[in-house]
Amino acid sequence: MSTNTLIITRSILKLAKQPTAPIMGFAMSLFFLLVYNAGIGGIGHLEAFGDKGYLAFIFPITIISLAMGSSAGAGQTLNADMQSGYFRRLYLSPVSRRMLVIAPMLADTFSSLFFTGIILAIGALFGLPFQFGVLSVAGILLLSLLWAITLCGFSAGIMLRTGQHQSASIVTNAIFPLLFLSTTFLPRELITSQWLLAVSWANPVTYVLEANRYLLGGTATQEFFLLGLTILTLTSAGSLIFAVGSTDKIKI
Amino acid sequence: MTVEILFKSITKKYRKGPEALRGIDLEVGKGELFTLLGPNGAGKSTLVKIATTIIRKDSGQFSIGEHNPHRDFSPIRRYIGVALQDNELDPAETAENLLTFQGRLFGLTRNQAQQRTEELLDAFELQTERAKKCETLSGGNKRRLHCALALVHRPRVLFLDEPTVGMDPEARARFWQVITHLNKKEGVTVFLTTQYLEEADKHATQMALIKDGTIHYGGTVESFKKLVNAEKQTSLEESYLAWMDLKSKPELPVN
Repeated sequence: MSTNTLIITRSILKLAKQPTAPIMGFAMSLFFLLVYNAGIGGIGHLEAFGDKGYLAFIFPITIISLAMGSSAGAGQTLNADMQSGYFRRLYLSPVSRRMLVIAPMLADTFSSLFFTGIILAIGALFGLPFQFGVLSVAGILLLSLLWAITLCGFSAGIMLRTGQHQSASIVTNAIFPLLFLSTTFLPRELITSQWLLAVSWANPVTYVLEANRYLLGGTATQEFFLLGLTILTLTSAGSLIFAVGSTDKIKI
Repeated sequence: MTVEILFKSITKKYRKGPEALRGIDLEVGKGELFTLLGPNGAGKSTLVKIATTIIRKDSGQFSIGEHNPHRDFSPIRRYIGVALQDNELDPAETAENLLTFQGRLFGLTRNQAQQRTEELLDAFELQTERAKKCETLSGGNKRRLHCALALVHRPRVLFLDEPTVGMDPEARARFWQVITHLNKKEGVTVFLTTQYLEEADKHATQMALIKDGTIHYGGTVESFKKLVNAEKQTSLEESYLAWMDLKSKPELPVN
């Protein structure tokens, strides 16, 4: 087995053996989905929500927050190794520096995708619509993958450059407010605050939410889906470049 | 003497700190058990970290064997073994699995890695600890495991930064049995920093003295003792303390 395969396998198995963070992220996301739907789902009959109800509208925030609350947001695998000092041991081995960041990113991304799949299945049991059937599921998983890479890469890159495992939270802390400065709970048509409306247009998270909504309840247009996909493609590519570039600036 | 480790005019200044190294010139011969001594903050660990490519020097050159450590990434990692001051263990793994994985990372087959694991568990008397997770090991056993991990791939040069801190006397004795065997029988070059001067006195052939980022002495341990106190036989610790205490320090040769 090559060293690359060894290190990737180790990262995935490590996460599988210590799934507390991703499970907690999953549980929190599921909890909020149920609470939001139960609490304000009654407004789902309004025309602005289309004919698919509130669940289809609120569901995308569950997917986005899932990745943030789970290992992707925390860069858990890399975080754990840096905290224990074992990262230095790996750094002093023949493993390529790039693989030191790619392996944990892969593990964290797979974890995020896995739990996204579970939450989609749970959503389907609750009657979540998939506008384009299997294609919608594939599309949501793709968006989720790109979102997870975006979070992982920036978290990992910052941890490597600072040498501080605690700095992983910088990314999630920076993005967290964006979740609420968006069309998270209500469609644009029902947002009465002009400043929030203006900010939501400029907020990239809005397009990610709308891209997911296009695939679920068809409440957004294809343009939003393409915009959301483009934004995530650019951010995930940028994040990868940042993470891999950080391997030349590792501080340990 | 074939030079195994060469430092030439190495400087290093931390961003928000003092100048840690101010033009270090040092040579360590192949097969030597070399010790770098100095007070806390003298620059010992900084020099070790530069040598092991953990941090970059500001200026100067250094080589290990025929390798340029910053250019020959993979070859240098197979050539050197490193045990730094802080333990580097995966807390969730067992001692046995960690050693085996280390072997696999360095290119050993599964069987070779398992065999090497057995050898090291035996050498460091960790057989009874093999199935324990690293986080549950005692401090001394963690230290033994940390040092054992540096030897899995049979390096030709060993960097040991205060390796025996936290080990009980028996473990220290056993550790030195392993290291002196490697040094004397297998010709492994050892670069050691230690605050236990009796260890350096007993085992080191060559030494250097570093203080405030500069080398104040380079040569044999015996020569240093004689230079500090020619009249009576002293231990390395006595000579070192005497030298540190001296208001006007004697001019010592820097080889």
